[in-house]
Amino acid sequence: MHEVSLAESIASSLISLKKERGWERVVEVRLRIGALRQVFPEILCFAFETVTKGTELEGAELSIEDVPISFRCRDCGGCWGGDDPLCPECGSMHRETVAGNELEIESLEVEEQT
Amino acid sequence: MTLQQSIMAEDERFAAAIRESNERRGLLMVNMIGSPGCGKTTILERTAQSSGLSFGVIEGDLATNRDAERLDRLGVPVVQVNTHGGCHLEANVIEKAMESLPLDSLDVLFVENVGNLVCPAEFDLGEDFKAALLSTPEGADKPLKYPYLFSSSKVVLLTKVDLLPYLPFDMKMFSEDVKKLNPEAPVIPMNGMTGEGVEEWTKLLREKIREKKAHAR
Repeated sequence: MHEVSLAESIASSLISLKKERGWERVVEVRLRIGALRQVFPEILCFAFETVTKGTELEGAELSIEDVPISFRCRDCGGCWGGDDPLCPECGSMHRETVAGNELEIESLEVEEQT
Repeated sequence: MTLQQSIMAEDERFAAAIRESNERRGLLMVNMIGSPGCGKTTILERTAQSSGLSFGVIEGDLATNRDAERLDRLGVPVVQVNTHGGCHLEANVIEKAMESLPLDSLDVLFVENVGNLVCPAEFDLGEDFKAALLSTPEGADKPLKYPYLFSSSKVVLLTKVDLLPYLPFDMKMFSEDVKKLNPEAPVIPMNGMTGEGVEEWTKLLREKIREKKAHAR
């Protein structure tokens, strides 16, 4: 259930940003979450709705883009996606993760103060 | 508007501050993660009894001081953090707990995380590396079921290996699965009752301590 911690973390960043930049309202928050992270999107959305209820962020919509896993082979440089731990080109197990670990607030839609 | 900011930006700031202060001191920090009852405290007890290393421990538990008391009895400097239901430790809590430990006289600082294979793996505490613990009765299938922990750890401690003769634990599958997730992580078989494996564990720690001290600023 670390979705609640994540939701609190997002909310606290947004509240400081909102104050700092003088936004009227945060309309939408777009996240990018890698498939390797253990985040359950529906639970995160529910947690965000719950922690923002009654705050100045109430009503802000959370949308989540899933980022698939991608590996790069350290031996031949080939890239591949999915769960296969070995390089499909050369069979090497020396790999680095190039995508799938994301846990980012990608962008926001806000209403500026009038 | 684009933001491209980490969701855990605030947490990461605390973790970075801890990492920097440990770097200055040349203090190695290890985040110990495993299920409740897998033997995290027992391994720390054995390490205290036979490694000759000077270390401190931050104990994370939902409730009670029991683990801290066990280590305190052995003369280990220890701080207990109770999360009151929280399933993991976060860096801001660690930073506070560190204030009550004699950091300058330690070779290693262990964080014994809340017993859990999921959330603790996600939160950077400023550690140098994570150690994943699994006890043989939990089953050989766990690495693939909890891939994030096993792929992000530097070492896997397989505890309670004395029970292997009584369990249907598929060692071949376990080793292959760990290798798939994390080709570079060694698996150290351990038995907290006899101290088996503590020597290899200590050797790995000494190596890391040496590297850390060499890079101290």
